[in-house]
Amino acid sequence: MKKALLLLGCPESPSQTPMAIYASSKLSQLDYEITIASTPAASKLLEVSDPNGYYVKDKIDIDSCLSTLEEKQYDLLLGFVSKDAAASYFVTFYHILQTESIALIFEKDPDVLEDLTKTVEENTEGKIVSVKAFHNPNPIKVRFDKILAELK
Amino acid sequence: MSFCLDTYLQQSDDYEILLSRAGFKDCAKIIKEKAEEIVYINAGEKILGVRIIGIPPIPVGINPKKGTVIISYTKPCHGTAAIEIPVEEEDIGAIKEVSIDD
Repeated sequence: MKKALLLLGCPESPSQTPMAIYASSKLSQLDYEITIASTPAASKLLEVSDPNGYYVKDKIDIDSCLSTLEEKQYDLLLGFVSKDAAASYFVTFYHILQTESIALIFEKDPDVLEDLTKTVEENTEGKIVSVKAFHNPNPIKVRFDKILAELK
Repeated sequence: MSFCLDTYLQQSDDYEILLSRAGFKDCAKIIKEKAEEIVYINAGEKILGVRIIGIPPIPVGINPKKGTVIISYTKPCHGTAAIEIPVEEEDIGAIKEVSIDD
C-alpha cells in the first residue's frame, strides 16, 4: 500500500478541514494509507468532523512529524497552503521527502494567492492547485479531482 | 546536553525577537541586515536541535562578537519570527558545518 502525508496549515481557512476529509476519502479509494500532520487545533477540527475515524485514520503533530521526517518516507505529499507559513512548511517537507507532491493553494485575496503560488512554483517541482477560495471548498475540490486523475 | 531551541524558548527569556508574525521573506531580510556574518542552510536542516523551516537557501545570521545567532522560526498559525539567541562557539561551528553555498 502506498503512503500519503497530508500536511495541514493553520485551520483559519474554513475550507481546510472539509478538503482534508475529502482528500483522505479520495486517496483511500486510490489505495493510499494516509497520515495527517497538523497543529493540535486543526487536529481537533478533524476529530469533531469525523468522530468515528471513518476518513481520518492516522494523525500526527506537525512538528513531531517534521523532526522525524526522512527522504521517501511517504509516496505522496499533499500540502494545504493558505498562509505564508504553510508555504514554508510545504517547501521544507518537499525538500526533505523528495517525493511526488501536490500543493493545494487557496486564498481569498488574489495578490496573496499569487504570492503563495509563486513561492511554491519557484521552490518545488510539485503539482499545484491554485484557486481563489475561502468559505466554499468546491473550487478546490474540482481542481483537486483533476490533479488526482493525473496520479492514476 | 545538546542545545534544543524549542525548550530554550520556553524556559528562557534571554533572546530577542527582531520580527514576529511576519512572512519568511521579511525575516530573511532582517537576518541579513542585522548579522555580521551570514551562512545559508537547506530547508529542513537541523540546527540548534530543530529543523529550520523556510525557503532555501535559508539565511542564518551569526554575530561572533555578541556570541549570538539570528534564525527564522516558523509556526503554522503564528507565521515566521526572526530570533536572536545567545549560543556557544561550538553551536556556531556546527551551523557552519551544515551550511551550503548561496
